[in-house]
Amino acid sequence: MSKDEVESTFFRRTSRWKLIVVLLVLALFVTVIVSLNVGYAQIPFPDILGILGKQIPVLNGFIDSSLISPQNAAIILQIRLPRILAGVLVGAALAAAGVLYQGVFKNPMADSYVLGVSAGAAVGASLSILSGVGFVFLGLRLVQVAAFVGAVSAMFIVYNISRVGSRVPVATLLLCGIAVNFFLFAVVGLLEVVAGDELHSIVFWLVGGFSNVLWRDIWAILPFILIGIVASYFYARDLNLLAMGEETAHHLGVNVEKSKQILLVLASLTTAAAVSICGLVGFVGLMIPHLTRLIIGPDHRILLPTSTIIGAIFLVICDDLARVVATPFASTLELPVGIITMLFGAPFFIVLFKRKKQSCAS
Amino acid sequence: MNTKYVIAAVVIIVLIASAAFVYVYYQGQTSDSGLAALQNLVDDHGYKTSLTAYPEKIVSVAPSATEILYAIGAGDKVVAVTAYDNYPYDFAAWIAAGNMTSVGDFTAPNLEVITALEPDLILASGGVQAESVDTLRNLGYKVLVLDPTSVGGILNNIELVGNATGNSAEATALVNEINSRITTVENTVANAAKPKVYYEVYYESTSSWTIGAKAWQSELIEIAGGTNIFGDQQIDYYQYQVEALIDRNPDVIVLPGEGMGTGTASTFDAVKARPGWDTTNAVQNNRLYQINSDIIERAGPRIADAIEQLAAFFHPELF
Repeated sequence: MSKDEVESTFFRRTSRWKLIVVLLVLALFVTVIVSLNVGYAQIPFPDILGILGKQIPVLNGFIDSSLISPQNAAIILQIRLPRILAGVLVGAALAAAGVLYQGVFKNPMADSYVLGVSAGAAVGASLSILSGVGFVFLGLRLVQVAAFVGAVSAMFIVYNISRVGSRVPVATLLLCGIAVNFFLFAVVGLLEVVAGDELHSIVFWLVGGFSNVLWRDIWAILPFILIGIVASYFYARDLNLLAMGEETAHHLGVNVEKSKQILLVLASLTTAAAVSICGLVGFVGLMIPHLTRLIIGPDHRILLPTSTIIGAIFLVICDDLARVVATPFASTLELPVGIITMLFGAPFFIVLFKRKKQSCAS
Repeated sequence: MNTKYVIAAVVIIVLIASAAFVYVYYQGQTSDSGLAALQNLVDDHGYKTSLTAYPEKIVSVAPSATEILYAIGAGDKVVAVTAYDNYPYDFAAWIAAGNMTSVGDFTAPNLEVITALEPDLILASGGVQAESVDTLRNLGYKVLVLDPTSVGGILNNIELVGNATGNSAEATALVNEINSRITTVENTVANAAKPKVYYEVYYESTSSWTIGAKAWQSELIEIAGGTNIFGDQQIDYYQYQVEALIDRNPDVIVLPGEGMGTGTASTFDAVKARPGWDTTNAVQNNRLYQINSDIIERAGPRIADAIEQLAAFFHPELF
């Protein structure tokens, strides 16, 4: 292959990547707009546009809002929009963190449970629920702050236990993480036993959901998730090299220990921020990276951004389903989104996986 | 035709008829005898229990059952209650003073404590206690499960406990009193406009819970002259969509809690600050009320108090 050929393949590939990302961003945008129409309350699409337009400084003069009920405006602006955006952020965060965990551990089962992050968040949330303090900190609910602190502390504990000198062997990290994870979930179990009246609060938090997301929750997690995802993108190349083994990566100029450390901190911070507002939402972090890898391929430079966007789209759609699954039966029931992600996500993944295996075999 | 079959058929019919006659006659003879009722105690789960004598030692593993026992004058037979029992007496103080035994937690009553007491009768509730009930029955204890789904069911349970303890006269008197209080409220609110009511079970950071038509609290709301905004849902407790609440726009919000009547300002402020809730009639007209959760969540004699309290919330001009 000549130099020109290599270059043209490279440009063809990067322009294909750009196209994929642009298409996915468009798909996410469409998903968000469609999701604004989804829910128990039947609000005509023009009304939704009117409600949104009213919020835009230049446009609002042209919109006659007298026909729009304040209830519908509240439903769109204070209930649906924040929960859709929360779905975007949390889905993106969990999927991106999943890519980082799987990349660093070179293990297909690695996710936020492995480093005890989810378990730490669960302990923090349970403790704060039991404390009975509805205390808000900088406008945030105590349970969210406690979940975040729990998640980050769990990660630091696991990391420090696993450290051998200046190195953190992946195998040790995994085993320590699993041990701490079991320990912390045992603590959650213990707290559940003594919880009495507060048991339901802990159980509902563990299932996860976007039911009562506030705008300020979104502003609170936005910086963590944005910084986490953007920063990790600069380590996509390191992740590619790490996939060839730490030894090889080291010889190819990767500061293995430092990269691992930074990637794990980024993954854990984004996960901690995500679970702090919606509880434990399973499947997204584990399966979306695999699903994306099946479609896009293993190169982290494209896998990371596409997983992030697909995770966002997936979780928003799951939350739509959580809201409308019961509507055909004239029901106002809402399902916990964590149940939907697994109930619909797992079979979808299995079908895709089987097809891919078959097409590889033939 | 074979005459043998005809004779056989006639004999069978005569036997069945005479058995039925004897059964009906026997029932008629003993229907007003309290001890006969002990032979046939059917609880809310359809389980038949028969006692040979009125119980001397009763363990109550549900606060609602304790309230019924004391209200019909069978309180002196109660030997143990749960840690949650607080009515009609301060049982925590009794337990601390050694005058009452605690079976511990409501969700998982201590079976060793119960068996050590050798009770003649155990009163339990449904749901989380199902497993404990099975275990106790397997150990040979007589257990009545009080798990009503309606006001009628609660009143039937008062009669059932009356029959089981030999206090059926007091039970009937109590049921009549509750019925007359219900009728009074119904007559008072009969012609008033019905406000749309939202009844909160839990509001968590990740989910929101209320009652549908199958929770008996929904019936209390109807009796008190209100309409449960989720009364069209054929379910008891469930997670609702918040936008459905905003869309259905409640006139009144009822929050069960520690307090009674007015509740604390901070509780109400928190509700008013929830996203979108400020658009509801209830928040705009400041019609948020707190009701003591013990009287509205326990399927016992104090449902009459709950109904009167709710009616006063819904129709302040009439009470």
